[in-house]
Amino acid sequence: MTHGGGGRAMAQLISEIFAAAFDNPYLAQGNDMAVMPAATGRLVMSTDGYVISPLFFPGGDIGSLAVHGTINDVSMSGARALYLSASFIIEEGFPLADLKRIVQSMARASTEAGVPVVTGDTKVVERGKADGIFISTAGVGVLVDDLSISGDAIRPGDAVIISGSIGDHGVAILSKRENLDFETAIESDSAPLNGLVAAMVEAEPSIHCLRDPTRGGVAATLNELAHQSGVGFVLDEDALPIKPAVRGACELLGIDPLGIANEGKLLAFCPAEKAEALLRVMNAHPLGRDAAVIGQAVADDSRLVRLSTSFGSERVVEWLNGEQLPRIC
Amino acid sequence: MDEAAANGRRILVSGRVQGVGFRPFVYRIAHAHGLTGWVRNGAGRVIIEIAGAPEALAAFETVLIKEAPPLARPRIDLSEPASLGLFHGFEIRHSEGTEEPDIHLPPDLFCCAECVAELSDPSARRHRYPFTNCTQCGPRYTIIRALPYDRPATSMAGFPLCPDCAGEYSDPLDRRFHAQPLACPACGPRLSFVRAGAAEEHGEQALAAAVACLSAGGIVAVKGIGGYHLVCDARDEAAVARLRSRKHRPTKPFAVMIPQEGIDGLDAVRRFVSPDAAEAAAIADPARPIVLTAKRPGSGLAAGLAPGLAELGVFLPYSPLHHLLLGDFGAPIVATSGNISGEPVITDEDEAHRRLAQVADAFLDHDRPIVRPADDSVVRVIAGKARPIRIGRGVAPLEIELARPLAEPTLAVGGHMKGAIALGWGRRAVVSPHIGELDSPRSLAVFSQVAADLQALYAVEATRLVADVHPDYASTRWALSDGRPVTLVQHHVAHASAIAGENPDVARWLVFAWDGVGLGPDNELWGGEALLGAPGGFHRVGSIRQFRLVGGDKAGREPWRSAAGLMWEACHDWLPEAEGGAIARQAWEKRVRTLSTSSIGRLFDAAAALALGIERVSFEGEGPMRLEAMAEDTGGFVDLPIVEDGYGLLRLDWAPLLSPLTDPTLSPGGRAALFHESLARGLVRQALAVARHQAFDAVGLCGGVFQNRRLAERVAALFVAEGIAVHLPETVPANDGGLAFGQLIEAQARDARSL
Ligand SMILES: [Fe+3]
Ligand SMILES: [Mg+2]
Ligand SMILES: [Zn+2]
Ligand SMILES: [Zn+2]
Repeated sequence: MTHGGGGRAMAQLISEIFAAAFDNPYLAQGNDMAVMPAATGRLVMSTDGYVISPLFFPGGDIGSLAVHGTINDVSMSGARALYLSASFIIEEGFPLADLKRIVQSMARASTEAGVPVVTGDTKVVERGKADGIFISTAGVGVLVDDLSISGDAIRPGDAVIISGSIGDHGVAILSKRENLDFETAIESDSAPLNGLVAAMVEAEPSIHCLRDPTRGGVAATLNELAHQSGVGFVLDEDALPIKPAVRGACELLGIDPLGIANEGKLLAFCPAEKAEALLRVMNAHPLGRDAAVIGQAVADDSRLVRLSTSFGSERVVEWLNGEQLPRIC
Repeated sequence: MDEAAANGRRILVSGRVQGVGFRPFVYRIAHAHGLTGWVRNGAGRVIIEIAGAPEALAAFETVLIKEAPPLARPRIDLSEPASLGLFHGFEIRHSEGTEEPDIHLPPDLFCCAECVAELSDPSARRHRYPFTNCTQCGPRYTIIRALPYDRPATSMAGFPLCPDCAGEYSDPLDRRFHAQPLACPACGPRLSFVRAGAAEEHGEQALAAAVACLSAGGIVAVKGIGGYHLVCDARDEAAVARLRSRKHRPTKPFAVMIPQEGIDGLDAVRRFVSPDAAEAAAIADPARPIVLTAKRPGSGLAAGLAPGLAELGVFLPYSPLHHLLLGDFGAPIVATSGNISGEPVITDEDEAHRRLAQVADAFLDHDRPIVRPADDSVVRVIAGKARPIRIGRGVAPLEIELARPLAEPTLAVGGHMKGAIALGWGRRAVVSPHIGELDSPRSLAVFSQVAADLQALYAVEATRLVADVHPDYASTRWALSDGRPVTLVQHHVAHASAIAGENPDVARWLVFAWDGVGLGPDNELWGGEALLGAPGGFHRVGSIRQFRLVGGDKAGREPWRSAAGLMWEACHDWLPEAEGGAIARQAWEKRVRTLSTSSIGRLFDAAAALALGIERVSFEGEGPMRLEAMAEDTGGFVDLPIVEDGYGLLRLDWAPLLSPLTDPTLSPGGRAALFHESLARGLVRQALAVARHQAFDAVGLCGGVFQNRRLAERVAALFVAEGIAVHLPETVPANDGGLAFGQLIEAQARDARSL
């Protein structure tokens, strides 16, 4: 792929790739914007940039990730995600075959999630001005019900529920990027959570908060929410769903599974008495089969996230920036 | 001064003379010698004006020092003839308002000989009373809520004195005169014994039930001075194994409390371990620390107490309750901290019952609240001196006099492991008891409490903090979120400054800071560093050849990772047997999650893995400890090359150790001995190489590695042979427990430099 001279041909090629992959009436309007019917209820909007290495990984690629990530962010308000936009920054020389693969994956993800990409843009930049491809997506959703799901709404006593296994995405990315052959292949959990959320809020509108533990993992998310809601959390180590392969990889590399990214999981916080019912609804959904109550919110002025083990020890789950530097002296 | 008119003397006494019953002691000996005058506190000293016959005055001065209370450390600053007015008897005067008395927070004192004797005296009012104490003995630090140290400000506030006790309290000739925790069976705390499914018992019945439980192989949580102990029969292999499995502590050594018997109290101790003279003195010290001593084969103690080690930590009973318990049980008991691994010892009944429910069969409680925890102190005799491994009950808060005043009140927060705090102001520094590893919420809570309490009790508000440069140490995070200005000090510079602070007369040091890992300014993990200079100006002149480790902190618990790091670095095509070894190799080659280190602690771990086959351990330092224990008396050595790297650092190369460590013709004990000897010689040669270009007055050896007696003593002996002065830590631990004091010294030196 080149830019500058022959740019027109390139633009042509790119638009063909997009046209072939995405097929919906809004894009078919052929404008620089999409015109859609007004939704009733409150509008929810979110945007995110996707920069990842490697671009293709077990369980997904940057394209599906850009769709899932933004749908999930919109969904964490309890809203129904309606539309997506997508913007691409493509480095000169990026293989067209890879672009095609990414765009197709993106289209497939969008179709499967039932949230169309209604408008988009592409830019090709000089070599060295980008690292292969960057994708930005924005999503619009609508909150029809009278929900007030928010990061500051968690109350002491609330149950903390995770929708499934922890750490799959982070370990999948790491093992692919570094080309480590773990005995069991570890796949990213990248998935759209809009369907699961719809089922959850329909069954239990009393949910206080939903959050997807992406970058920084469960540890960062809970620490952030502890401050936002003014509570502490106590997690039960034995209740954490972690796949044996992920656990093994983390142990070998000295990584805390709580500190690594997930792309198809959510944390839900609801009054303790609703937890069982909510869990049943989640377990009935394919993306919540392994959902589990992993702890509870507690009153704690110091806003600590604690992990307690079966033999009674407790450790503080910290929000570690970057690589975990050893502390044993 | 008109000699002819002098009828008495004015005496100024300094040292540790406050909060240890010194003034009542002065009162009593003045009376005993028929002298008149007065004694009072003033500006950190005790002032005495005393008159009487010259022989009596001379005798008084001798007794003043020789027979001082066990924990007093009096020093006569001045004794001059004085012409004094007439006195009616001898009195204890109040300090004068114009002089601001220095505040001293005494540590928890042992049970003195007189009180011990009363315990077994059927005619005594406090016969077999588990909470007896006097001005010379009893709890202090752990019961004081606020200063001045008066009963209402202690956890004895809820126990109003009965008339008999009140009489003793106000009688200057009584050894309980103004003993704040004073108590008796009529008015003081009492014991209770709680066992699931049984009625609660009190007093003698409680004690008897606890002894019966121990005799039946049970585990009892006993509330003591600074917290709970978990206790079982130290001769009962099954009980010890049960305690290990319930406490999830498979191999970490247990301390053993041995009854006090015989004239020097050590008769029973000598039946179970073989202390040398210095160790015996340490065991008998009023601080009653746990002392590491050589095991005595065939002593009848359970083998599971300190598996794989040659030494056992032993101590004497230090509270009346412990004396009664051990006297009635009649045999040594395991007395290990009642805590969850790494956390501060538990002090509160409810918390103990909740968190130790799965460990203890029963609880022997009492109703005197413990205000803040103090774990038992631990010492090891190295190079002839008892050196602290852990500062705790009986020692802390540890007062250290600084050579120069601090520019401003400063709170140093220490490291992350073996957390402890140091508060400094003026020429005083105070080190807190050991808090624990700062990974748990309880450790953090105690850390915050102790930081606040020290400042409140000494009425000193620190205006700045000092912390380690490691961004993920809980102490550093705490300091950075506090709001006060923070001085960051590199880990090994703090270690080096600690030993320099203990020896202020040494101007220029070469310090070997050998430990696990600490973050270096180059973002590498230091741990085998040679630092030249002095506080405020240490710079690195030597280190060891770096190697890379896979798995971060996991390496501290899995010595095979260190072994692999060394072997791979030295190009040996070595595959660890440990699960995951092949993937670790991939990660190592691709530099995934690997960190470069110059840690001697990890080098020891590697040696333990290679020489003894220790792949995994259950506590940090287990590999090195077993390596030391295993080492045969004599062994060969290999010369470790010293290579100057691109930055002018002299790096000791460990590579020649690898083949003897894996040599099948050598015994494991021979390999271990060779490792120690080679490293000791390597260190000294490194020092000599530095000395060729740069001068220093003394060598310091610090960091947790120098808790290794064999290495430390060998290095010290080699330096002595070279005519080079050498210092080992003596006041604060060589390990990270001494870090806070070093941080204080380093910050102080930087202030002085910037003046
Ligand atoms: Fe250290
Ligand atoms: Mg986002
Ligand atoms: Zn006493
Ligand atoms: Zn009384």
